[in-house]
Amino acid sequence: MDFTTVIFSAFALTLLGAGMGVILSRNPVHAALFLVLAFFTGAGLWMMLEAEFLAITLVLVYVGAVMVLFLFVVMMLNVDLDRLREGFWQHLPLGAGVALIMVAEMVLVVSSKQFSKLGADLQPASETVSNTRDLGMQLYTHYVYPFELASVILLVAIVAAIALTLRKRKDSKHLDPAQQVLVKASDRLRIVSMRSEGDQ
Amino acid sequence: MVQNYLAVLLFILVGLGVGVIAPLLGWILGPRRPDPQKNSPYECGFEAFEDARMRFDVRYYLVAILFILFDLEIAFLFPWAVVLKEVGLFGFVAMMIFLGILVVGFVYEWVKGALEWD
Amino acid sequence: MTFAFPNLVPVLPEIFLLTALCAILILDLFVSEANRFLVYAFSQLTLVVTAGLLVMGATGAPISTFEGMFIDDPMARTLKIFAILAVALMLAYSRSYNSSRGLSRGEFYVLVLFALLGIMVMVSANHFLVLYLGLELLSLSLCALIALQRDAVRATEAAMKYFVLAALASGMLLYGMSMLYGATGSLQIPVVASVIQSGTADPAILVFGLVFIVAGLSFKLGVVPFHMWVPDVYEGAPTAVTLFVGSAPKIAAFAFFMRLLVGGMGSMVTDWQPMLIIVSVLSMLLGNVTAIAQTNIKRMLAYSTISHMGYLLLGILSGTDAGYSSAMFYVASYVLTTLGGFGIILLMSREGFEADRLEDLKGLNKRSPWYAFMMLVVMISMAGIPVSVGFFAKLSVLSAALDAGLTWLVVFAVLMSLIGAFYYLRVIKLMYMDEPADAAPLIADTDHRVLISVNGAAILALGILPQPLIDLCTMAITQSLRG
Repeated sequence: MDFTTVIFSAFALTLLGAGMGVILSRNPVHAALFLVLAFFTGAGLWMMLEAEFLAITLVLVYVGAVMVLFLFVVMMLNVDLDRLREGFWQHLPLGAGVALIMVAEMVLVVSSKQFSKLGADLQPASETVSNTRDLGMQLYTHYVYPFELASVILLVAIVAAIALTLRKRKDSKHLDPAQQVLVKASDRLRIVSMRSEGDQ
Repeated sequence: MVQNYLAVLLFILVGLGVGVIAPLLGWILGPRRPDPQKNSPYECGFEAFEDARMRFDVRYYLVAILFILFDLEIAFLFPWAVVLKEVGLFGFVAMMIFLGILVVGFVYEWVKGALEWD
Repeated sequence: MTFAFPNLVPVLPEIFLLTALCAILILDLFVSEANRFLVYAFSQLTLVVTAGLLVMGATGAPISTFEGMFIDDPMARTLKIFAILAVALMLAYSRSYNSSRGLSRGEFYVLVLFALLGIMVMVSANHFLVLYLGLELLSLSLCALIALQRDAVRATEAAMKYFVLAALASGMLLYGMSMLYGATGSLQIPVVASVIQSGTADPAILVFGLVFIVAGLSFKLGVVPFHMWVPDVYEGAPTAVTLFVGSAPKIAAFAFFMRLLVGGMGSMVTDWQPMLIIVSVLSMLLGNVTAIAQTNIKRMLAYSTISHMGYLLLGILSGTDAGYSSAMFYVASYVLTTLGGFGIILLMSREGFEADRLEDLKGLNKRSPWYAFMMLVVMISMAGIPVSVGFFAKLSVLSAALDAGLTWLVVFAVLMSLIGAFYYLRVIKLMYMDEPADAAPLIADTDHRVLISVNGAAILALGILPQPLIDLCTMAITQSLRG
C-alpha cells in the first residue's frame, strides 16, 4: 500500500463517516456541519484526482456559501426535532427497499464488463496540463454564449430572491445615521425671543 | 501533480493537530466536578426564558442567497484569471459583459435596499 | 487557437431584449409610483422592437452562430414571433388586474421578459447546454412569477410545487442528455443526430437516455403522467400569471420537442413514437374526463390544457413533416385561444374579487353580450367545433396521425374530443341560459376591449381562412428541417 492509497483511504473513510453523520445526527445543525466535513473530504478526493478547479469550487461555493444558506434555512424553519422523527418506522420499509435497489444497481453496474473496460485505455495527463487553464480556454471562447446565459440566470436569481423576500418592516425602530449627521441646530432647537419679566 | 499538494496536506494535518490537541489536553488535565447547577443552561444568571433555537429573520436568508450568487461569479472569474493572456481581448470583453449583467443586478439590489439592515 | 469571432447578427433580437430588460430593471428603481405605467409602456415597446428585429432579419436558410450553438431558422423566427405576440397580449390583458392586486411591480414585467428571453434561447438552441440554460431561465422566472403574490398561501404553495417538480424534470433531462453525450460524444444536436444515424452509438445507452429525455420533456409540457403540477399551478397562481404559464411556455415546449427529439433523435422515431403515444392517450383521457368534474374554471382550463397537449403530441408523434407543421399550427391556435379565454376571466375579476369559479360565468350574456360572445368563440375553438381555428388545428393533427397509419389513435382522439366538448358547451350554457348572480356589466379599459375583440376575431377569421397560418407553419418546418 503506497502513500496515496493511505491518504485516499483516510479521505474516503472520513467522507463515509461524515455522510453517515449527516443522516444520523439528531440535530439538524450538526447534520449541516457534518455535510461541511463531507464536502471538504470530497474536495480532497477530487484534488487527488487532479481535478483542482472542481475541488476549489466545491470548497468556495458549497462550503463557503451553500452551507451558510443551509444553516440559515435550518435555523429559520424552527425545526421541531420530535416531529421530524415521527413516522420513522413507518417509512423505514420503503426507504430500506429503495436503498436495497440502489445498492443492487450499483453492484450490477460496477461489476459489469463495461465498467471495468472504462478506465483501461485512460492515460494519466501529462504534467504540464492544467485543467483550470483548459477549462478557461474553452469557457471564454467556444462556450461564450452559454457563459453569458449563465450570468443572465444569476441576474434572474438576484431579482427573484429580492422580489420574494425583501419587504419593508413597519415595526423597526431604525435610525439612519446619514440623516442624523445631516441634522442642523435649527432642526432641533428653536430660539424664540421672549421678553424677560424684568422688562415689563 | 498530486505530489505538489503534500504541503497542503501537511498543513491540514498540523491544523487538525493543533485544533484537537489543545482542547484534548484541557479535557484530560483539567479538574471536572460537575453538579446539576453547573450543567444547567443559564442566561446571565437568570433562569432560561425560552428555547435557544429562535427563528431567524428571513433577511439572513436573503443575504446568504445574494452571497451565493456573487460567490458563483467568483468561481467563473478564477479560470478567467488563469487564461486571461491566452484568451486575449475577446475573453476580456466576454467577462466584462458577464460582469456588466451582474452589475445591473447589483445596482438593483443596492437601490432596492436589500443591502441595508434596518 | 482556432477561434473565429461569432456572427452576432442572428442573435440581435436576443441581445436587444436583454439590454432593454436591464434598462427596464434600472428604470423601475427610479420611477415613482404614479409613473409606473412607464415600465409597462417600455415593456411593450421592447416587445415591438424585438419583433421588428426578428421580422427584418428573416432569412430563408438556417444560419447558425456561436459555433453552431445558436441556430436561426424560419421555425425559430416564427415561434419567437408567436411567443412575443402572446407575451404582448398577456401584458395588455393583465394590466388592470395587476394594478388592483399590487402585482404591477417592475419585477413582474422584468420577470416576464426574462421568461421570454428563456423561450427565445430555447427555440434557437442547437446545443444541449444552451437548451438546458434556456429552460432554466424560463423555469426560474416562472417560479418567481407564480410566487410574486407573497402573502397568498396558495400561490406560494403552487410555486413550491412547480419549483420541486421543475427541478426533478431538469434532473431527468440532464441525466438523459448525459447518456446521449456518453453514447455519441457530442452535445451539438446536429452532431448527435449524425452519430445516431451512422449507427456507431450503443443503442442500449441511447434508448436509456431517450426514456429520461421523454420523461423530462413530458414534465415540462405538463402531460400525463407528469401533469401533477399543472392544475395546482393554474389554480394557485394569480390569474395574470396563469395566463402566462398557459401560453408562451407551450411554444417553448414545442420547440424543445422539435429540437431534441426530431432534430437530435429523428432517426430513432420508432423508439420514441410508442412512448409519446402512451403519454398522448393518457393525457387526452385524463385531461378531458377530469375537466368535467371541476367547478373552478382555472382548474378546468388546466385539465383542458393537459388534453390539448395530448393532441399536440399527436402531430409530433406521427413523425412526418406534415405532422410537425400541424403540431406547430396546433400550438399557435392553442395559444391564441387560451389568451382569449383567460383575457375574459381577467376582465371579470375585479378588485378583491377573483372570478375563478364556473358559477361566476352565469348569465354573462345578460351582463355583457359581447364578452359572452367572445367567450363562446373561445370555447368552441377549444372544443374544436367548426368556424374556429381550434377545429382546423384538431383536424390537421388528426389527419397527420391518420397518414402515419395510427387509425385507432385517431378514433380514440375523436371520442375524447366529444367528451371534451361537453364541458366547453357547459360553459356556454352557463353564460346564455342561466340567470346572473350580479347583473352589473363588465367594465374594461379600451385597449383590453379592443384586444379581446381582435383576439376573438382572429380565432374566427383563422377558423374560416386557416390557410395562411398553415402555410406559414409548413414553410417554417420544411425550410428548417430540410433547408
